[in-house]
Amino acid sequence: MPVILEAVQLTKQYQEYTALRQLSLSIDTGEIFCLLGQNGAGKTTTINLFLGFLEASEGKALINGIEVRPNSNATRQHIAYIPEVVQLYGNLSGIENLDFFSRLAGFTYSKQELAAFLQKAGLQQEANSKRLAAYSKGMRQKVAIAIALAKNATVIFMDEPTSGLDPRATAEFTAICKELAAAGKTIFMATHDIFNAVNLGSRIGIMKQGSLVHTVHTSGISATELQQLYLETI
Amino acid sequence: MYLLAFSNFIRSRSVLIAITLFLVTGVISLYIGSRFLQKQQAAVEAVTQLQQAQIERNVKNVPDQFGLLMYYLRFAYINKPDPLAALAIGQQDINNSIQYLTVRGLEGQRYDTGLFNPYNQLTGNLDLSFVILFLFPLLIIAFNFNVLSQEAEEGTWPLVRIQAGSAMRFIVQKLSIRLIVVLGLLLILLALAVVIVPVPLNSKLLMFSVTSVLYIVFWFAVSFLIIALRYSSAISALLLLSCWVLLCLLGPAMVNSYLTARYPVQEAYSTFLKQRDGYHTKWDADKDKTMEPFFKHYPQFSRYVWNSPKFNYMWYYAMQQAGDDEAAGDSKAMQNKLRQRQQLAEKFACWIAPMQAQLALTDIAGTGLQQQQQFLDSTAAFHESTKLHFYPRIFTDGAVSAENWAQHVPRYFKATAAMVPLFAMMPLLVFTLILGATGVVIFRRKGAAYTFQG
Amino acid sequence: MNEIKIIAGHFLKITFRSRMLVTIYAVWLLLVVFAAFTGYSTYTTQNTLRTQLQQQARQSWEANPDKHPHRMAHFGSFAFRLKHPLSMFDYGMESYTGNAVFLEAHKQNTVNFSEAGFSTGLLRFGEISLSVLVQLLLPLVLFFLGFHTVARQKENGTLKIVLSQGTGLGAVIWGNSLGLFVLSVLFLLPVAVAAFVQMMLQQQLPADGFVITRGLWLLLVCMGYLWVVSTVAICVSASSTGSRAALLKLLGIWLLMAIVLPKTLQAVGSAVYPAPGKFEFETAVEEDMLKIGDSHNPKDAHFARLKDSVLKAHHADSIQQLPFNYGGFQMREGERLSAEVYNQHLKGLYNTYTRQNAISNYAAFINPFIGVKNISMALSGTDFTAYRHFQNHAEAYRYQLAQTMNELQMEHISNTAPAKDAKPLSIGKEHWTAFPDFRYTHQSVQAITQQQLPAVAAIVIWFLFSFAFIYFTAASAKVL
Repeated sequence: MPVILEAVQLTKQYQEYTALRQLSLSIDTGEIFCLLGQNGAGKTTTINLFLGFLEASEGKALINGIEVRPNSNATRQHIAYIPEVVQLYGNLSGIENLDFFSRLAGFTYSKQELAAFLQKAGLQQEANSKRLAAYSKGMRQKVAIAIALAKNATVIFMDEPTSGLDPRATAEFTAICKELAAAGKTIFMATHDIFNAVNLGSRIGIMKQGSLVHTVHTSGISATELQQLYLETI
Repeated sequence: MYLLAFSNFIRSRSVLIAITLFLVTGVISLYIGSRFLQKQQAAVEAVTQLQQAQIERNVKNVPDQFGLLMYYLRFAYINKPDPLAALAIGQQDINNSIQYLTVRGLEGQRYDTGLFNPYNQLTGNLDLSFVILFLFPLLIIAFNFNVLSQEAEEGTWPLVRIQAGSAMRFIVQKLSIRLIVVLGLLLILLALAVVIVPVPLNSKLLMFSVTSVLYIVFWFAVSFLIIALRYSSAISALLLLSCWVLLCLLGPAMVNSYLTARYPVQEAYSTFLKQRDGYHTKWDADKDKTMEPFFKHYPQFSRYVWNSPKFNYMWYYAMQQAGDDEAAGDSKAMQNKLRQRQQLAEKFACWIAPMQAQLALTDIAGTGLQQQQQFLDSTAAFHESTKLHFYPRIFTDGAVSAENWAQHVPRYFKATAAMVPLFAMMPLLVFTLILGATGVVIFRRKGAAYTFQG
Repeated sequence: MNEIKIIAGHFLKITFRSRMLVTIYAVWLLLVVFAAFTGYSTYTTQNTLRTQLQQQARQSWEANPDKHPHRMAHFGSFAFRLKHPLSMFDYGMESYTGNAVFLEAHKQNTVNFSEAGFSTGLLRFGEISLSVLVQLLLPLVLFFLGFHTVARQKENGTLKIVLSQGTGLGAVIWGNSLGLFVLSVLFLLPVAVAAFVQMMLQQQLPADGFVITRGLWLLLVCMGYLWVVSTVAICVSASSTGSRAALLKLLGIWLLMAIVLPKTLQAVGSAVYPAPGKFEFETAVEEDMLKIGDSHNPKDAHFARLKDSVLKAHHADSIQQLPFNYGGFQMREGERLSAEVYNQHLKGLYNTYTRQNAISNYAAFINPFIGVKNISMALSGTDFTAYRHFQNHAEAYRYQLAQTMNELQMEHISNTAPAKDAKPLSIGKEHWTAFPDFRYTHQSVQAITQQQLPAVAAIVIWFLFSFAFIYFTAASAKVL
């Protein structure tokens, strides 16, 4: 499998505080990579660097072999982003939001096509035309996934996607992620949910104070073992 | 705990910047005010000198014809501004505060304007009353709009609720801190006025201060009501600012437009025309036709001889008088209209606080239309008495040298006492109380739980 | 480009959905109707009244019987200032400038009866004209509608999703600015329609008013200004950490630009270039007048010399032998000299005013509000130069009147006084009708453009600067 995401000695330094230290990592197409770590360990910083919202102090982040800075716009062609709290436009319906974001990415879809993406993301059809202000957190997340689908993104970055979701919504979300991976999408996810990480991820990274301390394959580890490792690390 | 909250507020950078900006603007306004006073003083001195020099020169040039001499001589009547006018210039930069009149027809000269740069008048004066009426409300809004919503938006509200027992007391406390700061700012500016202008410490200044304090409290009441409605910060700011735009810009401007349309003063122009025609057509009319009404107006002069073979100035001044008499109806109608405008403005003012405060402040400082009206009326009396002093001398062609010219120095207008401000400020007080009480009721009804709206 | 269009459309879609816009727009329409109606009725009433008074004054002038021309010089005339049709759009300084002046020989009277002189003091709160709505209030509305655009998306993270779609921050700012500008044009539309209706309702527009040319320029300037306002709103929103900070910043900018600076700059202007008050001015004029002598005073030394030289030139021993009326000649000379002195002083005074105002004119480079205000007043014929133009006209007419009467006296009046009880010296009344009435003309568009060159340059620079502003904001604003 070809490498899609690569970090080379990626460092983010604020005046006296190092948010990310010498991160070197490469992720293959189709992987679901889960990043664990306490608040402030550097998970979100890593995502922001890949997204091009931050400029690296040292090192580089590459997507599909292209350096993110200064080519953020080019690299963003391939990615989608789902923040922890998906805030879209409350006065627009789900389908309208999807339409807007797709057009921004350069795709114009018919109403049926848009509805199909929403359905694929797991959203009930009757919700399509309701204003987003009335959506639950899980529903808004599904719209964000639909946005990623409609854009035909190859990499999806997710920042703590399961926090605040009820167990059923979490289960639905996990199922969709697996489908996406099966379809060849790469998912890069920051999370606190160890059990879900083991269940969902192909590989797991554990971060501490800006450094990636461990990288493990989920095939050889159980949730309990991972929890043990996590607690020891931090 | 109160002190802690106080220093927490006052230490915030934006609050400090705002206070500094207001202090600077306030001091600028005081300098603008005192410059206005200096200019007025310079005008008084200039007219005093001018009158003296003109009397001296003309008495020398025309020593033998009292009537001709009085054609030239002018006498000043001065509405000297109170030092407080520096704080509320009002209409005083537009209205003439010095009348410089001959004993000829009054209507042709009483409306002569001064020399002004109209652009200066258009932008208006940045005096202290402007700072208080226009800018202080904005400071109050900026201080208050998120007093409650910020706590909610930053998530501190539930904590505060548990710690602070009464939500109402907490809010009142927060507002009172801000009130103290704003009143402190006002006090500093007034104290600086006493030093810079200088304004004497008297009952007028006290009235001025009380009115300003009431006005500031009014805006706190408005803020409190909006806060009690518990909208988000942005919407609260929007609502408060809409109040400001409505009360300080749109309301008064619309009332003014209405007054102008409701009471148009065409009489001003017709007075102007009638006065000229009334006088000039008499040159071609039978002289008796001029003298008859004159003697009717002034029977005391009927014993003087006017139809002597020599050119007689009695006829000339009777023609001048005819101009005034024929324009008198229109002149009166015009003044009535101005009075009606003033009365209706006062009625509207009860409903629009900044208008009311503005009228009160200018009335206290003697720079409003009311005092200008008094001055114009009094000018007519001054003109009349000057005329009556000189008429017998003109009509008998008395000796110019017999007159004690040194006594003809400018005279000063004395305003009758200003209105009772506390009574006049009643509507403002009532509004403040109503707004405050409504705020309390709404606040109580909404309960302590913060519900986010909008 | 496509992205910008999408974002602009999206901004408009979202804004149209909010209930707030409906309320604001409804209030806006009410204000526009109010301002348009007030402007229309003021213009119509005042111009009808003034035209009528001008005619009335003319009638009484023509109704004069045969008389001595010097009596007519003192009978004098009036000049009433007619409003420019566009004064319905921008009242400018009209409320503060006088509207009528009495024109007579020997004396330059003040232009009296400004609306401000009749005001209760409420005028100090400002007026609501269509121009005030567009130039002062609309920016505030646009700031309200625009402050949260980028800032709120930044606060709740939507901006990150937008940017991860491959859109640059520049496109976001461009799109929102464009959207806000389109919105501002929607607000401008009823104003333009109202102004158009105001003009169309007039039976006739003055031919020298160039209403259409001026109106189109006004529209263009207003649109440029609204574009600048829109970009400022969005750029401030984009460079702020949150929507609250953006709102406060924008309000501060508005207050400073629209309220505080204009006042302060005029105060600075009059402090730097102090103008004399009325009596200082009169004293100075009188001093110079005394130097040239008094044409009414037979003992005056200057005029005694003049008489000698005239007699000498005509080889005459006494004025009775002169081929013209000497009194008329002497007064013509006196009028010429005194008008020269007075006009020189007045010019000096007005130049001082112009210098005071120049500070505001150049301030347009730091404050586009002042620039657009100045241009708008100039195009609407309601600024200081328009007033000065009127006063110059009136003075020229006054001078012409006095000198024509003096020349009539020279030509037709005998140097010999009539016998007692004989008919007094006079000329026929046909001379009165022969003298033309006062006619006011408006300034040419070219003259206005020249006067307003700094303001026009400033607005153009602001317009260009707005693009740089977008560029630099996009480059420097932080997304996180």
